[in-house]
Formats: sequence, C-alpha cells, structure tokens
Amino acid sequence: MSVTPSESGRPVGLRFEGFGWRPAGSRRAALSEVDLSVDAGQRVLVTGPSGAGKSTLLRAAAGLLGTDIEGDMSGRVLVDGAAPGTHPIGLLLQNPADAIVAESVGRDVAFGPENLGVPREEIWRRVSEALELVGFPYDHHTPTRTLSGGETQRMALAGALALRPGLLLLDEPTAMLDPDSAGVVRRAVAAVVAATGATLVVAEHRLEPWLDRVDRVLVLDADGRLICDDTPVGAVTRNWLALERAGLWLPGLPPPRPVPVSADLARPSQLVSGDVMCAEALQLRLRTRSLRGAREQLALAGVDARLTSGRIHAFTGRSGAGKSTLVAALAGLIAPTSGAVRAHPSMAAGLGEHPHRWRSRDLAARLGWVPQNAEHSFVSRHLVDEVRATSDRLGREVDVPAVLETVGLGRLATADPYRLSGGEQRRLALVAALAHRPLVALLDEPTVGQDRHTWAAVVGWMTALTTAGCAVGVATHDEDLLNSVVAESTVLVAGRGGDRR
Amino acid sequence: MKSTPLSRANPLALLTIGLFAIVGSLGVRDLRVGLVTVAVVVALGAVLVPRGSHGAWRLLGPMLGAASVALSTWLLAGRDGELAVTAGLRILVLAIPGVWIAPLIDPQRLGDYLAQRLRLPARPVAAITVSLQRFEALGATWTQLEWARRARGLGPGADPVARLRHVSALTFGLLVGALRGSARTAVAMDARGFASARWRTWAEPAPWRGVDTEVVLGAVALAALPYALSYALAAWL
Repeated sequence: MSVTPSESGRPVGLRFEGFGWRPAGSRRAALSEVDLSVDAGQRVLVTGPSGAGKSTLLRAAAGLLGTDIEGDMSGRVLVDGAAPGTHPIGLLLQNPADAIVAESVGRDVAFGPENLGVPREEIWRRVSEALELVGFPYDHHTPTRTLSGGETQRMALAGALALRPGLLLLDEPTAMLDPDSAGVVRRAVAAVVAATGATLVVAEHRLEPWLDRVDRVLVLDADGRLICDDTPVGAVTRNWLALERAGLWLPGLPPPRPVPVSADLARPSQLVSGDVMCAEALQLRLRTRSLRGAREQLALAGVDARLTSGRIHAFTGRSGAGKSTLVAALAGLIAPTSGAVRAHPSMAAGLGEHPHRWRSRDLAARLGWVPQNAEHSFVSRHLVDEVRATSDRLGREVDVPAVLETVGLGRLATADPYRLSGGEQRRLALVAALAHRPLVALLDEPTVGQDRHTWAAVVGWMTALTTAGCAVGVATHDEDLLNSVVAESTVLVAGRGGDRR
Repeated sequence: MKSTPLSRANPLALLTIGLFAIVGSLGVRDLRVGLVTVAVVVALGAVLVPRGSHGAWRLLGPMLGAASVALSTWLLAGRDGELAVTAGLRILVLAIPGVWIAPLIDPQRLGDYLAQRLRLPARPVAAITVSLQRFEALGATWTQLEWARRARGLGPGADPVARLRHVSALTFGLLVGALRGSARTAVAMDARGFASARWRTWAEPAPWRGVDTEVVLGAVALAALPYALSYALAAWL
C-alpha cells in the first residue's frame, strides 16, 4: 500500500457501515452498529462520555484496529471508498509525548514523509511548510524533549500534516494542556483546516471551544451508540438534556453538582487544626538521566506555601511552572535542594518535621497523594485490592464497596485497573490514594481532560475531605475547580510562587 | 563542548572503537603490557573524549568489573597476584572505550548510518531508533512508580528482602508501563505511514568522511598496541 503524490492532499470522505468493535479481553463492545458518513471537507466533532468509544472510532478510521489494537470487528470502514490505509491520514493523540519519534523537531516531522518514501529535498520542503502552517515558533534543530505540552502537540500536528493527509483525526488533542496552550493548538488546527481543506474529525469532552470551528456534531452514549447527529446549534439546543446526562461540558452550563461523599469516608483518626504543613523558600532541582548523560533543571526557585486544615489550597500557573513538583515535594516524595517542607509537630508526632525523611508507612499514615498519571499508580490487579492496599498496610479499616460506589465503580469491583477507561482510572486512583483517610491530601491535576461525571466525583471527594477537617493541596488550572471549592490559591510563574488570591 | 575527532566521527566509526577493544583486550596477557595499554587508553580518552561525556563516575562500572574479575582470578588461579591484576587490566582495556564512546552515539544518526551505509532493513532500524530515543521516558516512569508506592505506604524499609521485593515490583510496573507506552507510540508511528512503509527514505544523508577513516585507523592501532608490546617484550627484553 503505497501512496502516490497525486492521491495525497485531496480532502477525502469517511464512511462507517454497521461498524462495531469489541476490544480483545473485554465483554463490553466499545462501538456497536455505527452507520455514519462524513463528506469530503466536512468538519465534525465527535463527543460522548469517557469510555464511549470516541478514540475507537478515530482509530478505526485510521486503519489501526485489528493491526495495532486487537479485538473483534464487525461491519466496515471506508476512507474515500477504500479500506483505510490507502490514503494518508493525519491522527493526533491525546498525549503528545507518546507521539515523539525523534530527538529533533525536524526529524520528528520528517518521520511521516520518510515512511512514504518521499525524496530528501521534498521531505524538508514539507517539514518547513508543515511547521509554518501550525505556527511553530522554533527551528527544526530544537530538541523535542525541551518542548512544552502545547508545543509538542503542535509539532505532532505538523508531523501529521507532512503526510499531506486528506483527513485529519484529532483524539482529544487538548485534554492534557493548560487553557492557553489548548487555545493555541485549536487555532493551529483551524488554520490548517482552512489552508488545506482537509476533512476534520475531532473527539472531545468539551463542546464549547470547537462549536464555531465545526459544521456537524456527533454524540456517542456510554454504550458506544450514536445518539445525536446534528449541526452545532442543533446539538446544543435540541439535544441539551441528552448531552448533559452523557456528562459533556456544554456552553453556559454550570459545573455539575459534586457527588455526595460522606465525610466519614474521609475523616482522619487524628485531626490537627490551623496550618498543618508549609513550604519555606523551597528550591528544587530535578535531574533527568538519559543514555547520553544527565541534565538538571530548576523546577522550583524559592516557593512559600501552606496547607490549612479544612481548606483547599490550589497551586496554579502554566504548564511547566512547577505545580506538580511542588505538590510532590509537599507530599514528601522529593527532597528539597534548599529551603524546607515542614509538617506541624502534632502531625509529625515525634517523627521529625521533614516529610521526605519519613518512612513510606509513616508518610502514608499522614498523607495521600493523587498522581496525574493514574496508570502509574496502580499496585493491584483488582479494583477491590487497589482501594484497600494502603489501609491493609496501615492496619486501618476501609469500607471498600462504599468507597467504590462514590466514584461509580461499584459494579467493576473485581475488574483489572488497566482495563478501565481513562476517566474510570482517574477516579480509581483518586479513591485508592485517599481511602486510608490521611490528614493531608495532595492532588495533581485531578480534573484535567475529564468529563463531568469524573469532575463531580473528584470535587465530591475534595468537599468531603474539607468537611472532615483534612488539609488539601491541589495543582490545577481548571477554572471551574478554582471557582467552586478552592479557598486560596498561589500562582506559580517559572518555579516562583507569586500572587495569591 | 570542544570539538575532537570523536565528537565529529559518525556513529559507525565510533562503534568500531568498541569492537576493536574486544580484539585488543584479548592481547593483554602480561602485567606490563596491560599497564601500558590501560595508560594509553586513559590518556587518549582524556585528550579525545569531549568534555561533558567523560565523567569519572562512568569509569565506576569498568572498575567494579575489573576488580571482581581480578578477585575471582586471584581466588581461583592459585592466589597469583600478577595473573589477577592482568585479568583485571584486560577488563579495563575492554570496557573503558565503550563507556566513553556510548554517550557520543546519537541514536538518530546511528539509524541513518545503519540503514544507508550498512543497508540494514529500514523498518527495524527505524523502530530501534525510536525506542532508543524513548529511553529517557523510562526514567520518568520509574520515578512515578516509586512515588506512587512510597505515598501509599508500600515503599521498602531498611530490610534488604523488602527492598528486593520493592525493586521487582517496580520493575514489573516499569515493564507494564513501557509496554503500554510503546503500544501508544506504535499507534502514533503507524498513523504516520509506518504501517505501510515497505522501504523508506531518510531525511539526512550518511556520508563517510576523512575523520571517520581516521577514527577507524585509530581503533585498529589501539587494538594492535598490546600485541605489538608483547612482541617487543619477547624480542628485546
């Protein structure tokens, strides 16, 4: 299957005929009986709750199902009337870091044309053209590892464009980005589509930012069935209720009511009033090691912060400002380079005031840390064991069914954490990190890229924590979160703690 | 970084240094030959290895290897000190060039040369290139796994058995993470035409220049040194 130059560049249509897909090892179909036709040059938004099969739909169109991803397929997919794979297709994934294939920007963008067997001079012409189209700010010798998330995503978009695709498939391209970077990526997409006329299919939870950039909206329900196929205006007027029930973010719709979580599930055995922890002139250098030596980077350059019982303190700022590092340092996971993280003597209870020196068990007995990447936090093969792991270790009782019920995972108690959808994994990681009722809870970007169901569960737990008297710290750039439950916030700018509000 | 022949040479030329070091190390059969060869290797390294990539800690591995080989030779071969030290020096001659050369090899350029100079099949070469440059991500994953276990009370204490169990749990987690990460990268690669690429072109050429020949000749000379020294010792001393 090779692509000739005359075939590339022209917008192509897409067709699903009775299409269904069940991933290998899963009982539930990700998609069933999808009949759908997208005309050449059309711009389509596909939306639906977490786990509805949006990604699957895009991967099917890219011809990756059955080859890269195992499972049972029914019906068929046609791209410009032929099997997918004949025409160059541009696919953008949720996490741009997964798509990096080279050390320099130029070589990364060149990867596609190299695969198509394009001659060298033509490769570099395409690379320059694609980087210009996405408004990439640096030259092509720039090392890929120094780029921010938004820059990496724009590079990935350029990498897709260098194939001269007639169809662009974007799978939640801004889910992992801060609002500013997300806006820049969306504008780049709009510019690219305007310039190339390519057919566009974008999957997203949030409708609002895309509504004026698409001419059709498709909605999948939780079982992977198509429940709405309308114009952008029609989708938000005629199908409002169905969309809200599906957990989608709609223009003008206030954030959902937090899931009620009993404070008893969060109440620590011992409470400390007032300031529970603080960071003083905290400086942190992070070291990364690669095959070609190590390098150091100043992540925090002197930050003051405090966590108070019964309150939520947010740390905000652009990607790379040091939010996650600060939260990890407060959680006693990294040793400060200079300055200090201190725990209140009655919290430390004879251990010494520096949490990073505590033993793992002593740390867990007092603190809970919810990582941004849920997948890397799992320690068990079943949800039940995952939730009780820390409590077992500490000899604490935990009402596992009640805890799982609060995040809507009750019926999946015996499932494997790795088999859950992205949103379900996030909710599991949340309760697994907090079920042992620590005094201090630290959460790293708990709502980024999540649908309303997951958002409501996260905020429900945060509310329960404060009611129970815990001190909560959260790294976030979610405006809805900042405006609803956060008591105080610190804006980080390039590793420095700045304004408070 | 100061430019030296080693920083300008192509990755294939650099690899020949490592390969010829094997040949050279086999020629170390005498304490004096070993001492001179190691001295020459270290001296050449100090001059030719660009600053920034010859940290002293890199020599720790070869030193440990040499010490353990020397010790076991001493224990097993009749407690002969000279034999033991020679065996240790042989390991240094074998390993030091490698640990100094490795950080100079750019995976991307290595791929270009393997495919265009050695005519190795394009798809495996491209796949290896991508996986080598993703190595850094493994370190980040390891840290995340370690943090998660520590925060959840599952970190190890001082007990060595618990530590061993902890490391094996982390290794398993790292493997799972690496597999899932590489599956996602494979999706991204295939979406960019890798799935249907039978042959591919390369954005950068892989020229062979004078400095590359110099480096290969240097590698051959270094490998020949212990043999020449042995011959000289036998002939004149």
